[in-house]
Amino acid sequence: MTCAEFQRELPDFLEEGGASELRAHLNVCPICSGLVASLQSIASEARFLQDSAEPSPRVWNSIEIALRREGLIRQPQPQVHRSLFPFLTRRWGYAAWFAPVAALLLVGSAFFLYQRPGKNHKIADNSHVQVMSAIPSIGTVSDASDEQLLQEVSARAPMMRTAYESNLRDVNAYIRDAQDSVNANPNDEEAQQALMDAYGQKSMIYEMALDRSLQ
Amino acid sequence: MERSYQFTLTVAVLLALTALAVAQTKKEYRFNVGAKATVSIINQYGAVIVRPSTGNYVLVNATAYSDKVEVDQTQSGNRIDVQSHLFDGATPENSRVDYEVQVPADASVTLRSTTGPLRAEKLHGDVEMEGSTATVEVRDISDSHVHVKTMNGPVTLNNIRDGHVEIDSVSGDVSLISVSGPLVRVSSTSGTIRYDGDFGYAGEYRFNSHSGDIDATIPADASVDVKAQSVKGKVQDDVPMQPKTHTSFLAREGSSFAGTINKAASSVWLRTFSGRIHLKKRQ
Repeated sequence: MTCAEFQRELPDFLEEGGASELRAHLNVCPICSGLVASLQSIASEARFLQDSAEPSPRVWNSIEIALRREGLIRQPQPQVHRSLFPFLTRRWGYAAWFAPVAALLLVGSAFFLYQRPGKNHKIADNSHVQVMSAIPSIGTVSDASDEQLLQEVSARAPMMRTAYESNLRDVNAYIRDAQDSVNANPNDEEAQQALMDAYGQKSMIYEMALDRSLQ
Repeated sequence: MERSYQFTLTVAVLLALTALAVAQTKKEYRFNVGAKATVSIINQYGAVIVRPSTGNYVLVNATAYSDKVEVDQTQSGNRIDVQSHLFDGATPENSRVDYEVQVPADASVTLRSTTGPLRAEKLHGDVEMEGSTATVEVRDISDSHVHVKTMNGPVTLNNIRDGHVEIDSVSGDVSLISVSGPLVRVSSTSGTIRYDGDFGYAGEYRFNSHSGDIDATIPADASVDVKAQSVKGKVQDDVPMQPKTHTSFLAREGSSFAGTINKAASSVWLRTFSGRIHLKKRQ
């Protein structure tokens, strides 16, 4: 039996074990035996993936609402049932929603930065590049990013720095507490909602600092 | 000697007032608009106060306090954009502009100012207000969306009927008096949330905070399905209610409660991490 003939019979072999002729080829062919081992390993891991927890529909709805509020989604999407990012929910479980939350921060801030270059000539053009680097990285509460933000605030309106510093500290504590709750109870919708709210508050601070009001 | 001092002082004050008056520039802009106009006022530093006009026009009175700032304004059909334009050398101290604006009552308004105050009253178009340290006050609004964002500026809403209300403030205190509608949501990190009203009929009320306290005062005839939870703080309710046994959270004495009052027409969800929650009956 050749390798091509064996692989044609492979689906049946995996499901039913196959005839003696197939097993005999497997015993002497390292390529086909390696392939079978890999496929069986993947099938085994896939069972665990099915069990991973998914975020509640409310989390995805909140993200959708926030995106719509920021103008990133302009038309209602009746075909959306559970999630804007179904591929993430399937593959990564509850951990996946950190990415869209952080992306919301990133995209939202970028949107506002570029939405209103405005009639105000006070800000140098390269400030956009500087402030983009101040957006928190995905899934983290970044002190470094906060510090960069505070430097921007200091440069534009020094008297505002203390207020921003204090509020960032409070919001980071909020995020940490909400994160702890989610970690303790990954399926708790209210804990997930609280974390969304906490990130929403931080996103608002970044928007206010980097966008319109201070420019 | 004393008379000479008083004379000098008087002259100095007069000179200062004269200089201030010269530095002030008052301008008035008038725009004719149709129904449901959109008015946007973007002001970095200074007040924006909006009231209803008596006709289909928008009237903007702007007072600038130095030549480091000017007022830009454009009209595109039914949309009016007014913006303070800062020049080189502008600072928060010298670039203040105060706006008093009249708009048709059905106009939608967007107001932004870092320092504020921001105020809107007697309108029934949508109202959106944002200011990091600005004091925000909205009153006598009906049938509209009211969205407010502040960082540490306090927010007061008074007499909002049938509103779709969303308030986000990081550390500013939020006070809602006689506010009702299909959706009333307040999100705060450390500010206090106070509600005094009857929670309307068939609305959803959701107040969240991290460390800020939540106080709600309701009349005896309020009709609500209420849930309250403080993860690390205390809750207290002085209102007789029918307790609920099935809740989405693990009920613990002293840190959460859930129940219905009268016919439970509106849904109320009060939640904080470490703040205190107090639901009390109006005396």
